[in-house]
Amino acid sequence: MARNSAVAEEKQVDPEDVAESLAKAVYDGDIVNFRLLFNPFSPARKTSPESFDTDKYAYLLPSDEKAADPVFQEIVAQVKEPSVWEHIQQELEANRPARMPSSLVLKLADRAVARGKYTSAAQAYEQLRVRQRMREEFLKIGDTALDAGDVPLAVRAYRIGAGMEYNYAAFPEPLPVVPNYQTRALILHGDYPARPEDAVGMQPAESLVWTALAYLLNSDEAAARLERQPMERKVAFLDRLIREMDPGWDAFVAQCGEAVRLARKFNERIQGIVRQSDGSPDGLAEELSEQLGDDPRRISNALLGFSSNCEYDWWQYVKDLAYRHPAGVLFVARQLVGNLEIVVPRFRSNSPLADALDLRAVVGAAGVTDALPAEGTGGGDDGDGAPSEQDPIQ
Amino acid sequence: MSDNATQTGEGYVDYFAILGLDEKAKPGDVRKAYRRKMKELVAEIGQAELNEEKRSHYLLEMAKLNAALYILRDTKLRDQYWKERQELIELEEAWRRAAEEGSAEADQLRRTFDTQIRAFLARYMEELMLDAGRDKECVEASNWDAAHERHASKLLRYFRQSQHQQILERLPYFDFTPIEFDWDERRKTAAALAAGEE
Repeated sequence: MARNSAVAEEKQVDPEDVAESLAKAVYDGDIVNFRLLFNPFSPARKTSPESFDTDKYAYLLPSDEKAADPVFQEIVAQVKEPSVWEHIQQELEANRPARMPSSLVLKLADRAVARGKYTSAAQAYEQLRVRQRMREEFLKIGDTALDAGDVPLAVRAYRIGAGMEYNYAAFPEPLPVVPNYQTRALILHGDYPARPEDAVGMQPAESLVWTALAYLLNSDEAAARLERQPMERKVAFLDRLIREMDPGWDAFVAQCGEAVRLARKFNERIQGIVRQSDGSPDGLAEELSEQLGDDPRRISNALLGFSSNCEYDWWQYVKDLAYRHPAGVLFVARQLVGNLEIVVPRFRSNSPLADALDLRAVVGAAGVTDALPAEGTGGGDDGDGAPSEQDPIQ
Repeated sequence: MSDNATQTGEGYVDYFAILGLDEKAKPGDVRKAYRRKMKELVAEIGQAELNEEKRSHYLLEMAKLNAALYILRDTKLRDQYWKERQELIELEEAWRRAAEEGSAEADQLRRTFDTQIRAFLARYMEELMLDAGRDKECVEASNWDAAHERHASKLLRYFRQSQHQQILERLPYFDFTPIEFDWDERRKTAAALAAGEE
């Protein structure tokens, strides 16, 4: 009796659900959901115990708003195009790994690019074996646009092209490169800058621009293509890229200004302590720690826009900053104050990149000043005895 | 293009070609060719302005030369390498034919090829390349040391994966339906996408 009722209750799959869920994956540029729909446990298969009607898989279906979108309806029509639809049904009924319809995957990849889902686009193009060629097409568009002076188009094309980079060293299979600024920012600041000029933001203009391009595009190859461009164009490119990636850049500039103001005040206090000290570096470090306490952290907190006092280590400040403002880490440095290591703004005020990004303005009318001694416990000298005319924050 | 690539074994590292030799070369020829090539490479490195990209390139070239000597001077190892390489090229051809003909064997051939290509690339394009760097003769000629090995291990993985990718990209589709690309249309689509249109 029980067996009979089990046979009678064969799972029904609404073809509309199948078409709409596939169209949704294409519309969203979501290669993961698209593949899932062809898996053995897919709710789109009659042989699977899973169902679109459960909460678990309801997310695969479009919202009413999405379903009403003409672009979505166009994709549904593409899914239901007789030859495609027949193939989909055949594959969902067959008891073997499915062969997915390439025309829909191509549409999905293009949609993923349009929606800024470059990792998904890279995987979809890769499945179709055209990732490298598509990547090259986008980078070529970027080169042409840059030669023609169309910086916004160049930035968009480069972001897409660089977003399709693959990490061949990934294990066990190559994977799309993902934006991992928090990790890579720590590598940028891995070595303590013993001399002010060792800080990332204190590099000569050419080096800083190269570092910024390689770090932000996350692709040495894409950055290398831009090397032949004149300096002013690379700066314009970076300016646009940074502001496009980080809509809150202006807030960072303001926070940087506040951090500079605090750093200058601290420097005055430090100079006072230095003048009264016995001159031994160890004694000075202790004295600074004693007199300043946790106060220097206020500079790093201001840099990140924290209103409350946060007791991070330097690397936590760098990581947090890389998350909030990826490009911000190019203009800061680790700084030892007494026994405390913090993060302070440090860059060349005459750097064209700092200028383009409005950072020169935060140095203020005074122009050159010293905020904190570069050695942490020593004086503001940059190591070669010459005053650092181009260093606003050292 | 794909047929030529298979015929020439593109993607399956050819250590004879790296040393400029044919597969009948004797161990003595291998050593001579290795020393000459390594000398040329060292001279080239000495004259080059090194940056990160070039450093990686030269490190890889050095690793390839070391592996070529390490594998080809040992008759047993070299015969095994060449046999596996030839078998793999033939297997790729057999799968390609089966896929084109829609034969039922295609899926089994694909799975066998997939397993063997991974094993081949891991052994001859990574493991033995690293082993070669610890070989006395290679160390003497190339000054290869622990620091080289540290840098090379990531590089060799990258190299292996990129070669794998190169081979995969020319193989028949198996989990997607075949598709012909109209590259004029693709270029227009790419331009529209970059311009923010859909």
